[in-house]
Amino acid sequence: MTGTLLCILSAVFFPGIILRVKSIASGRKGPGILQPWWNILLLCRKTGVISTTTSFIYRLAPAVYLATVIIAMLLMPFPGCRSLIGFEGDFILFAYLLALGRFLFILAALDTGSSFEGMGANREALYSMLTEPAFFILFGILALFSGQLSMQEIFTGSGLSSGVAAFTGIVAIYLLVQIAMIENSRMPVDDPKTHLELTMVHEVMILDYSGFDLALIQTATNLKFVLFGGLIANFIMPAASALIGPEAGTGMLFAANVMVFLLVQVVFASAAGIMESFRARKKMAKNPQFIVTLSTIALLAFIFILLFTLNLIR
Amino acid sequence: MTNMLIIVFAVSLIYLSVTERFRIYAGLVGFQGVLLFGISFLQLDRITLATVIFVATETLIFKVVVVPYLLFAVIRRTGVVRVHEKALPSFYSLLFVTVGLLLSIVVSFSMNTTPYNLMFFIVSFFAVYTGLFLIISHRKIFSHLVGFLVIENAVLLLSIAIGSDIPMLLNIGILLDIFVSVLILGIFVMRLRQHTEDLTILKDD
Amino acid sequence: MAQYYIPAAVLLSFLILVVPSKARYGYTLLLNLFIAAFTSVPSVAQIAACIPGAAGIAVRLPDPFILSFSGILGELHFTIDPLSAFFILVTNFTVLTGLLYSRGYLAHYRDTKNPAQFALHYFSYTWLYLSMLAVLSLREGTAFLIAWELMAVSSFMLILFEAEKRATLKTAVNYLVQMHVGFLLILLALVITEAATGSMSFDALPAYFAAHRHTGLFFLFFAGFAIKAGFIPFHTWLPEAHPAAPSHVSGVMSGVMIKMGIYGIIRVLLAVKFDLFLTGWCILVFSAISGLLGVMLAITQHDLKKLLAYHSIENIGIIGMGIGLGAIGLGSDNPLLALLGFSGALLHVLNHSLFKSLLFYTAGSVYQACGTRDIDSLGGLIRKMPRTAGLFLTGAAAISGLPPLNGFISEFLIFLGFFKGLNGGSVYQSLTMLLAIVSLALIGGLAVFCFTKAFGVVFLGNPRRDFDHPVTEAGTSMLFPQYLVAGMIFLIGFMPLLFLHPLLNMVSAVFGLPEVPSVAAFTGIFKNISIFGIILVLLVAVILEVRRRLSVSRSPGYGPTWGCGSADLNAKQQYTGTSWAAGFIELGQPVLQNKKEFGGFSEEEIFPGRKYFSIHPNDIFTTLLGRLNSGAMALLKYLARLQTGNIRHYILYAFVFIILILALLYLKVL
Repeated sequence: MTGTLLCILSAVFFPGIILRVKSIASGRKGPGILQPWWNILLLCRKTGVISTTTSFIYRLAPAVYLATVIIAMLLMPFPGCRSLIGFEGDFILFAYLLALGRFLFILAALDTGSSFEGMGANREALYSMLTEPAFFILFGILALFSGQLSMQEIFTGSGLSSGVAAFTGIVAIYLLVQIAMIENSRMPVDDPKTHLELTMVHEVMILDYSGFDLALIQTATNLKFVLFGGLIANFIMPAASALIGPEAGTGMLFAANVMVFLLVQVVFASAAGIMESFRARKKMAKNPQFIVTLSTIALLAFIFILLFTLNLIR
Repeated sequence: MTNMLIIVFAVSLIYLSVTERFRIYAGLVGFQGVLLFGISFLQLDRITLATVIFVATETLIFKVVVVPYLLFAVIRRTGVVRVHEKALPSFYSLLFVTVGLLLSIVVSFSMNTTPYNLMFFIVSFFAVYTGLFLIISHRKIFSHLVGFLVIENAVLLLSIAIGSDIPMLLNIGILLDIFVSVLILGIFVMRLRQHTEDLTILKDD
Repeated sequence: MAQYYIPAAVLLSFLILVVPSKARYGYTLLLNLFIAAFTSVPSVAQIAACIPGAAGIAVRLPDPFILSFSGILGELHFTIDPLSAFFILVTNFTVLTGLLYSRGYLAHYRDTKNPAQFALHYFSYTWLYLSMLAVLSLREGTAFLIAWELMAVSSFMLILFEAEKRATLKTAVNYLVQMHVGFLLILLALVITEAATGSMSFDALPAYFAAHRHTGLFFLFFAGFAIKAGFIPFHTWLPEAHPAAPSHVSGVMSGVMIKMGIYGIIRVLLAVKFDLFLTGWCILVFSAISGLLGVMLAITQHDLKKLLAYHSIENIGIIGMGIGLGAIGLGSDNPLLALLGFSGALLHVLNHSLFKSLLFYTAGSVYQACGTRDIDSLGGLIRKMPRTAGLFLTGAAAISGLPPLNGFISEFLIFLGFFKGLNGGSVYQSLTMLLAIVSLALIGGLAVFCFTKAFGVVFLGNPRRDFDHPVTEAGTSMLFPQYLVAGMIFLIGFMPLLFLHPLLNMVSAVFGLPEVPSVAAFTGIFKNISIFGIILVLLVAVILEVRRRLSVSRSPGYGPTWGCGSADLNAKQQYTGTSWAAGFIELGQPVLQNKKEFGGFSEEEIFPGRKYFSIHPNDIFTTLLGRLNSGAMALLKYLARLQTGNIRHYILYAFVFIILILALLYLKVL
């Protein structure tokens, strides 16, 4: 439960930090940290305009999208807390819950009968399909390394005691950061600030949404980003507790873990902002190749960890 | 630590197979040289000290300084700034390279490499495969040269691994380096016509 | 008493041909219900007997239920063991829903077909059902082969319902020929068994495999059954036969009949005891290729039913991956892998029969309402056929393996098995498991890609073409069986333990796995999954309720879709199925070999004239088979020159033959 609550807490400042960092990098002062949430509240107060071409799927999709993200958040592990809802193979449920949200989201984009939204939905389907193998190879690496299959135990099992563990952690963080940027439709795959319909992926899918539905979607997008930040934090927290040492009491350890979690979210948000500001967007046609490169690198890391766990290399 | 460097070497190979700009080729070849320097330095305890210093210096001089300098000189001379064409789109090269990785694992696993580190074998076979693949799937001679350089790096990597038993192999590897530098220097820098986008037009034609 | 059910069913089925046409449907329905009832009772008993009752009783294989007949047909034993029982229950459900659906579907044809054709159709349907049940319960070689043949012939008759179309006729004959090739392979394998052990029965296989320590025969059986199941490259009959047949027949064929091939493979696999790791590995590789290629080919299709047929190939691939995993588990002495693999495969057999039949029924409703199966001419059907759309959405979400529906449960089992196999201790096993995980993840992603296309282009947006007849929702008689199937889908998805508990125990019993304590551990996992499913639904309901409350005071405005400033958007500008698939076709072109026809522009053409452009999906295996066929035909045409039509030549041939025989006798060869 702690993981979930901390995720909700970090979601409060996460999108604001990204926006602020991007603004500062462009030389502006930027909006306040809570501005995205004020925007969402404003949207809740507005009435929406619904296209006459749409059907019940259009109205259902934002709710399902948000619900799947919230439920995926329930699986967020946190060291030291016995997870009541985690189970073996829960990362498979995690991946497929996000896929469910995406499925209905894509259908809602097609529902409007606009070819622009069709374009974006098509690209979103293609890129998320190519990202799945990288995600599963990543968890294959973690399962192999820790010998466990539930997210809670994978993260508590791995300590940064040896060089290989550090290496696994670095590879995993790199992959997770890239997967997070792709899944949340950020640079270099998609630019959230572009408004040219021919070049959008995520933004064009919500082109027709307004009012409360749009608020739901923006909340879900923010929460999804925080989810990945939480997973990254789970790699760093064991290192922090190892630094503090085993003599510290459980309360101190818990507080330290909470601080580290929030700190990692802040750093991740800033890093995302910086990456967005200084990275150019790839050509649309090159995106599949970029995503598959991730899978190949993940495969390479897997092979190394495999050989290491089988003691074929020291 | 050696293993980390070898893995970064393999990652650079993957990047080499998908990239499209000549400058990045040259930069990656230099980067691989730095990695090889580090690896050869770390293999200190397995080979005699004199050989190690010789290999390390040679790697540093030739692979990190001379060859990339020559490559960049060629690029500047011919003024190639466009992205070059490949016979095979990048996506498929990536898939082929992944297959190559799996093949090199199968091959090195079926050999008995007990006294030596298995990662050396896997990555050097992978590098040979990638180098050959670069040569096959590209049209320009510059890319063929880079492919040859990659194969050469693979040979050096493997010879560092087994250098304690076969020191002559290391010397052969270094000879290859010298050969390639002379090749680039002799043919490309001296004889190519300047400021043509094409890399196959010689000075006197 | 039970002895009389089978002959009674057989005799009563002949009465279908003579019953008056008004009562024919009702009679057929009653007969099929009767057959379903008397086969389900022993099947359920068999599966229930696998579940350990009191504590301490080990899970062991219960004695099978046998019905024997000896008489003019010789000895005939119908054996129902837990494996057959499972397949029988799956068959019963789908066949009954198909029959319920056919009432509304075939009513459309009442004016174009005469009652004799209907009689033949219902007769063949009942015989397809009976022959499938016979295949599942006969072990003796000759009887099995006769039942197999009956299955092929009756499905051939069913496909031929619209035989006035030439294409249907050609497809049906192609189907029959391919089924006979499979028959030949199975016959060959059984004959080899008889030559080695003296008995042409599946029960003799354990003795065979114990004596011969290699699995060559298994692959012969596999090839024969793979033609029925639809593994690539034996699949070429599937994408043609399923669109050609009427929808309820497609649903039954795709949902149940191809599973007979899977049943055969598992039956033979049970007898194999050596070399299981290699066998499992081969099955795994084969199935992964089938799964990936099947879904890749499905993406390029623009005929709705052909798309669904290719998805059947993909799902057979997934089932095969589960079987391969199970065999690897048996071979490497890892009973957990075997349990997960086989349970996942068998559950997917059930799940696939459910959601594939549902998808075919909804596709049939769409075809009836609009008269076309071409995706690119449909659109916006969700407003005219909302219930059919909702049912198609359920099927689409289920086939993509999305929680909380049933497809997720079986894919989860197989995934879990692969992940558990990662720590196998051997490099090859771990690499195989990882590549299998990658394939399964890709298959899932591709399925989502394909079904968003199918659902989105057919049902959503605006209609791309005006139809001259009004498009109406399907009738209640067509919708009712679809609701039944959707209900089962939701039931398995939300309460998987209800089905998994007997299934896991059944698999342990059938494969002789030791009492694996994790069977109890899985209860925990699936309880959690059910809880997640329920929380998801509740959360969605809560959010929708909040939305409703907020919009009570502020009702939303309505307007056209934002056209990005353009005032002249029309329905033709929407994304079509082909444009959706184009992004993927580019990537997979070497395998897909899509055919593009376009004249191109010449240099002098400054103002382009009228051009023609078309894209066709292409199955390289069908092309290959076509080339093989034309090669064979050319050879045969060459040989046909011997038949000159002149009787004197034939007498010459006889004369030459006599001389040849005399010569051979003289040389003591004969």
